[in-house]
Amino acid sequence: MASGDTLCYFNALHGEPPASAFATLDTRNAVPVLDFDATTDEAIVFGGLMPRHYAGGGVTVTVGWMASSAITGTISLDAAFMSVTDDADDLDTKAFAAANNANAAPASASGEVQYTTIAFTDGADMDSVAVGEYFRLQITRDANSTTSTDDMVGDAELVFVEIKET
Amino acid sequence: MAILSNIDRHAAWARFMADASSRREPFGTLTKADLRAVVNEIDDWIEANALAFNQAIPLPARTQLTARQKAELLSLVVRHRFEVA
Repeated sequence: MASGDTLCYFNALHGEPPASAFATLDTRNAVPVLDFDATTDEAIVFGGLMPRHYAGGGVTVTVGWMASSAITGTISLDAAFMSVTDDADDLDTKAFAAANNANAAPASASGEVQYTTIAFTDGADMDSVAVGEYFRLQITRDANSTTSTDDMVGDAELVFVEIKET
Repeated sequence: MAILSNIDRHAAWARFMADASSRREPFGTLTKADLRAVVNEIDDWIEANALAFNQAIPLPARTQLTARQKAELLSLVVRHRFEVA
């Protein structure tokens, strides 16, 4: 396989909430979404297995999301990987690698899905997730603008996440 | 009565956005900072006009209702004025 190929896909129902401050499940016209608050940093985690056809390059995470109603402003969106290496990483203690960020504007109309991409280089940037390895991907709305400006009013609603080889 | 604390103003701001998001109400081109300024100004306005509000309440209710009861009545009247039948 090669650059541009989809490696993993997650929808809102695949989300695994962290112990606290998690994005909450909601629906929009019967489509499951995960609501990220406008004032409190909230996160969701997706667990996956890096496919056997992964060629070992960098990856691009695409987050499909909508604003609950806003059409202006931006959100600060973080993505971070955690690799779980065979007989090495302890799920009780393993932490996510440093997050990469996108400062994304909502779609031009409420209800339209905005595709926001966050690139990761191969290696430490994506916690060295290897082919055939279990990994976790954490998506966070940095609502208090720690990394980039988050001034969009109201919730951001995650629809899907795609990981493709860059 | 003093103005709300920063924590309480933050809570009101967050609650409004969460509730409006659940109703998917549009906000025009407003930002979070714009809405926070609205909360601050409303709280300041209430503080500045508290005396006039109290004077508008007829006796004997003015002296017999508690501040909390007057605030609850104000909240209910304002809410009913803007609720769509």
